Amino acid sequence: MESEVIEANILLPQHLSFKRVQMSEKYPKGQARGRHWKHLKQIIQAENYQTYPANEPNYVNIESPPSMYPSKKFCDITGFEAPYVDPRTNLRYANSEVFKRIRALPNEYVQRYLALRNAAIVLK
Amino acid sequence: MKYFDCTRSSYRSAFDSNVVYQFEIMEYVLDFGFERMGADGSKVDHPILITESVCNPVQSRSKMAELLFETYGVPSLAFGVDAAFSYKYNQGLGICSKDGLAICVGLTTSHSIPIVSGEPVFEACCRANIGGYHVTDYLKQLLSLKYPNHMPSITWEKVEDLKMEHGYVALDYTSEVRLFQKGGKEAEEKTRCWQLPWIPPPTEEPPSEEEIARKAAIKEKQGQRLREMAAAKRSSRINELENELNGLEFLMKQLENVEENDIPAFLSATGYVSKQEIESSIVKVSQSLRKAKGEQVENEDKLESSTSEKYPLINIPDNMLSPEQLKEKRKQLFLKTTSEGRQRAKQKRFEEELQRERQNQQDEEKRLENPELYLEQLRTKHRELSEKVEQRKRLKANGTRTNGNQNLSGGVGRGERLNAAQKERMRLLTTAAFDRGKGEDTFGSKDEDWQLYKLMSRDNDDDDDGQEEDEAELARVTSRLQDIDPTFVAKLDVGPFQPLTEAPRFRPLTKEDFQIIIGVERFRCPEILFQPNMIGVDQAGLDEMAGISIQRLSVKENGIEDRITNSILVTGGSCLFHGMTDRLEAGIRMIRPFQSPIRVVRASDPVLDAWRGAASYAAAPLFLRQTFSRQDYYEKGEDWLRRYHIRYSL
Repeated sequence: MESEVIEANILLPQHLSFKRVQMSEKYPKGQARGRHWKHLKQIIQAENYQTYPANEPNYVNIESPPSMYPSKKFCDITGFEAPYVDPRTNLRYANSEVFKRIRALPNEYVQRYLALRNAAIVLK
Repeated sequence: MKYFDCTRSSYRSAFDSNVVYQFEIMEYVLDFGFERMGADGSKVDHPILITESVCNPVQSRSKMAELLFETYGVPSLAFGVDAAFSYKYNQGLGICSKDGLAICVGLTTSHSIPIVSGEPVFEACCRANIGGYHVTDYLKQLLSLKYPNHMPSITWEKVEDLKMEHGYVALDYTSEVRLFQKGGKEAEEKTRCWQLPWIPPPTEEPPSEEEIARKAAIKEKQGQRLREMAAAKRSSRINELENELNGLEFLMKQLENVEENDIPAFLSATGYVSKQEIESSIVKVSQSLRKAKGEQVENEDKLESSTSEKYPLINIPDNMLSPEQLKEKRKQLFLKTTSEGRQRAKQKRFEEELQRERQNQQDEEKRLENPELYLEQLRTKHRELSEKVEQRKRLKANGTRTNGNQNLSGGVGRGERLNAAQKERMRLLTTAAFDRGKGEDTFGSKDEDWQLYKLMSRDNDDDDDGQEEDEAELARVTSRLQDIDPTFVAKLDVGPFQPLTEAPRFRPLTKEDFQIIIGVERFRCPEILFQPNMIGVDQAGLDEMAGISIQRLSVKENGIEDRITNSILVTGGSCLFHGMTDRLEAGIRMIRPFQSPIRVVRASDPVLDAWRGAASYAAAPLFLRQTFSRQDYYEKGEDWLRRYHIRYSL
């Protein structure tokens, strides 16, 4: 092992005395092979929050509702106020100069700008 | 398991949003923590206080408890919410009072938790899935899209640094944005510029006098040497040729002495077959000798004579020649016509040049006599030409763009119908399809059918040729204008998108090319904390969340809301943005009734206060009453664990 790695002191020794089961014993053949852990969505689904009374706080019902204020529209490229929308690409823009730039963009960039706003069409 | 590869750029996180789900990685983290803190017994023999997310799902909680009890042998355990600990700590410091609101802006989520009588009320808590991570990600995407050729320099860590150093929250987003749109001095001051490392190309200094003299001397010497070598070569070649000529003449003389019949035998020794050959080779050698000696070879006369020489058969009518001679004649005819054609072309070129010269002279005269008028004419011409070119480009772009674009806003047919070329194309296609008719498509069975496509592409090409001429003309006029008119500025559109769609401009790269300008993004990115709609997250922003959580409070005794808004604590790493407290105050004032007391304070150390609060909590003597042990965990089961909450006021 390189000297810098040893000096940096980021490595753990193989055997840790306070652990009942060492990592090396759990995985004798090296790296932990893909044990699939449940993602948050699956965890929440498995929780079955519907069976519990609704006024108890749980992970789902403390979530914030949509905003009361109507959303203001801002230009996708410059961030200024955007009164206009390009009908072909659905990008919002602020003035004619920005519009010229939008029309000159290749499709990949258009989709990325839309994805920033979560408005890109994703085909699965 | 050997060791963690910390050099891997994309690390795996144990968290999904703010909940732990990957307990393998969590185990590594805890290993590291315990080892560094000096645990060396056979188990970790201390009660542990762990912070978790608000309303942590019981599955995550139980897996964490299992991990700690089983693998580490921890005697007892307690779970708490970090925001509440931070509030308690600051309450101890006197920054906030017993009733208040804790707004915690975390990495992936933000919470707003009302605190009543020192205890957090989780029924009224509110969470938005926006945090510092989203701000950094937004900034990174914006910069990458604006400066695509600097994408390797725009790394996550660098962007996070930029965000922390330059990001701020605008008091009113729309007015700030208008300021930048106007582009005045204030906007300039607020714009920051990041200069990427750039090495200018080495400039050549103008050589000094001595250098020039030295270089000239060296060149002289080299030239001299070359000239000498050339002269030597020439003289040796001349000698050679002369020798050869002498030899051949000698041979000729000998031939004259020899009789007719003996010629072939005599000549076979020398390598020439007949007398004519010797004669022609003599002529050639003498010619090259003359050239080598530098005498002017008269091409014109040569050509004239050779024309009549070489093509003797042309003048003789056909019926007097043998078939071989006929072939000969045809060859000579062909040669004659080609050489004549060449001459004609040369003359035409000459004439064109003369004409152009004359035109230039006329132009110059016109310019000299009336410069103003000339300039005007040129300018109008330039304008017309550029309009024409742009129009062509627009038509072409419209026609081809709608063909290739997936978004069918007007239907594919509309785009195709716009362009004349496309119209022609459609017509050809439909006639081809229609002709066959009768329900059967026999297009392609005959070879002539495919000629259709040749027609179509030729139609498109015609457009191109016309456009090229116009563009060439435009370029010429532009250059002329640039030469003479000091006020003329060629209209080129400049921008970072240029390299994507047009041909690369070949000018030397300057320092400015390597600068990344961060103006609007400085406050546009933190704005998503207050307007998550900008990023597409359909939730309320921070200020609105505060209002929602106050509204959700079921305990509505008088004055509690005022007391709460009087002590609003902002904590969490992402609250370090400049201007956040002012913005929050303004936002909450909009929701609350007129003249209610609002006081927003930032925690004393937003990043570490949660830990400090938890540490002081764990150090309190009554802490052990709040923990649960391994027995409790196994006996009482999951349902009890779900309802387990600690009391924060000890």
